[in-house]
Amino acid sequence: MRKKVLSLALVTVMALSLAACGAKEEAAAPAAEPAKEAAAPAAEAPAAEAPAAEASGADVNGDGKVVIGYISKNIVDPFHAPINEAAQQALDKMKADGVIDDWTGILDGETDPNKQIDRANDCIAKGCDIVIMLPAESEASDPALLAMNDEGIKVLEVNSKTASCDTKAFAFFGSDDVQAGEMLANWVLENCKNGGKYIHCTGILGNSAQIDRGQGIENIMKDHPEFEKVGEPDTQWKGDLAANAATDGIAQYGDELVAIICDNDDMSSAAQRACNDAGRKDIVCVGVDGNQNPLQMVKDGELGATVLQDGIGQVMGAIEAIQTMVNGGEVKSNPQIPFVLVTKDNVDQYLK
Amino acid sequence: MSQSKVGSISRQDMINDLLGKYGIGVVMLIMMAVISIMEPAFLTGRNIINVATQISINGLLTYGLCLSITTGGIDLSVGAQLALTSCMIGVCLRDGMPVALACLAGIGIATLFGFINGILIAKFNMFPFVVTLSTQLVIRGLSQVISNGQAIPITSDAFKEIYSGKFLGIPIPIVIFVLITIIMYLMLHWTRFGRYIFAVGGNVNAAIASGISRFWVLVGVYTISGILSGIASIIFTAKTGSAQSNIGIGYETDAVAASVLGGTSFAGGIATIPGDILGIFIIGFIYNGMNMLGVSSYYQSVVKGCIIIGAVLMDMVMIRRKR
Repeated sequence: MRKKVLSLALVTVMALSLAACGAKEEAAAPAAEPAKEAAAPAAEAPAAEAPAAEASGADVNGDGKVVIGYISKNIVDPFHAPINEAAQQALDKMKADGVIDDWTGILDGETDPNKQIDRANDCIAKGCDIVIMLPAESEASDPALLAMNDEGIKVLEVNSKTASCDTKAFAFFGSDDVQAGEMLANWVLENCKNGGKYIHCTGILGNSAQIDRGQGIENIMKDHPEFEKVGEPDTQWKGDLAANAATDGIAQYGDELVAIICDNDDMSSAAQRACNDAGRKDIVCVGVDGNQNPLQMVKDGELGATVLQDGIGQVMGAIEAIQTMVNGGEVKSNPQIPFVLVTKDNVDQYLK
Repeated sequence: MSQSKVGSISRQDMINDLLGKYGIGVVMLIMMAVISIMEPAFLTGRNIINVATQISINGLLTYGLCLSITTGGIDLSVGAQLALTSCMIGVCLRDGMPVALACLAGIGIATLFGFINGILIAKFNMFPFVVTLSTQLVIRGLSQVISNGQAIPITSDAFKEIYSGKFLGIPIPIVIFVLITIIMYLMLHWTRFGRYIFAVGGNVNAAIASGISRFWVLVGVYTISGILSGIASIIFTAKTGSAQSNIGIGYETDAVAASVLGGTSFAGGIATIPGDILGIFIIGFIYNGMNMLGVSSYYQSVVKGCIIIGAVLMDMVMIRRKR
């Protein structure tokens, strides 16, 4: 009997630990409260009409509180982890400064559209005004946007779009992948003056980033007949497959192969490594993302360049938009966050 | 003196019995109370309906796993079954099949693979863990084959209604979940087949000696698990509006967790459907509640794991007392 009571108590403690984790977050709030209260009269006193403007901005559902939701794509991927971290710091600071009343914390989308829809409904239940979402899938995550839009929540999509983003989302903060493709091709033009054969390693076919980046490469290469595309292997964003494509290409075309353009830089770094190992350091490999490993290779001089997708810039764009909305300003619905060409000259800015 | 002692024992037995049956319910109530005090939006009708809709998918999978665990086995293929059914439905709808027929085709293929699981386990005496670990690869592979690895957008509004529609004001996923729950309850607790499941799981030799066909019980259990994952997949696919082969990865984890929380014993032979319902809701409340409270996602897995271990510990102690 005693054991039984003990075990019941144990479970209860564990259930309460759940609450305790929440309590820690709560504990931070009262500390921030005085600061907010101190700030509020100061802001209201000089301009009596200010509160009206405030209410129209970010308090979408009109309950007197500004609550922000954040639905991540996932919390483990090396591209997404730094984005989430930047958002966490910025939103925590906004809460501490009293700009917003509360936010949900980083909700884990688990790269699963089903979970993202569940998280969207949690945001609705919590009474969120504005929700930042990084969609896991274009088609399957769309119901999350629709559900929140139906409730009048302003949804800011970041990094990639869902199917009805253009009509239903309040704003989209991303980068133009066509531009990234053009940057890839231009880098190859600059570094292979004489032209030659190149291979294009693709992402998973049908993915919007894969389609648009391929389009950008074509936009540039169609005016340069001295370059000939000799292969477009289905490398599915995977470095090992791109490395295989590189060694296959070297075996097949020898010195005529001058460049390997990849849809991401996991692939370009693996392809470059394979080329270097095969004694062909002259082959120009380049890709998109700016992951840490390729950046390190750029720093070490093993890889010429990589095109950085500024994920942190994208999410910070959304967070600045929230700040603007709180202040009652207008938000652009489709701002472009530019890609950055990272070479040995500026790699230290981006390498952690 | 002796009389009072007898009285106290029986009262103690009663408390034991109550704790054994409803201890997990107490945990759930405490959880609900704590969360709702900290976040009033938690205990609103709207949020409870939200949670009930969210748990319907995991709920159906849990019943399937509960049955297989009760016979002393496990069905790890449920996540892959979600993907296969989803792709099957997607392909059928794309080719212009009526919604009802597409759903039947989807459930049909999941049922078939459940049946195959059952045959492999019962006929060849292979370990359920190994069989379903392997068939889930086959099943997920097949879903990639029929979908070419691509997402198939579902354009049929009638099909999407299965998730977004309402019946008498109640979201249809909840209606499906309640109906299946009633069927499962009747089957497990009121029919001969249900008693056979407990018998095979509790003491297989005794069950065989008393004339129960171990073969058909196992085949039946894994087939039912297949049917249930098929139905869960219909809800899943209607919810996301997209059929794809990469869904449902790791979904068996939450389903195992819910059935274990609900008192299903890995030793076999012990399970109740009401217990499962509690387990399913607790898993749902853990996700929803932690998000409502703003518990960092980084800690959520840790908390979930601890709650499950705690509940199983409790379960072990109870069972030892009973025996």
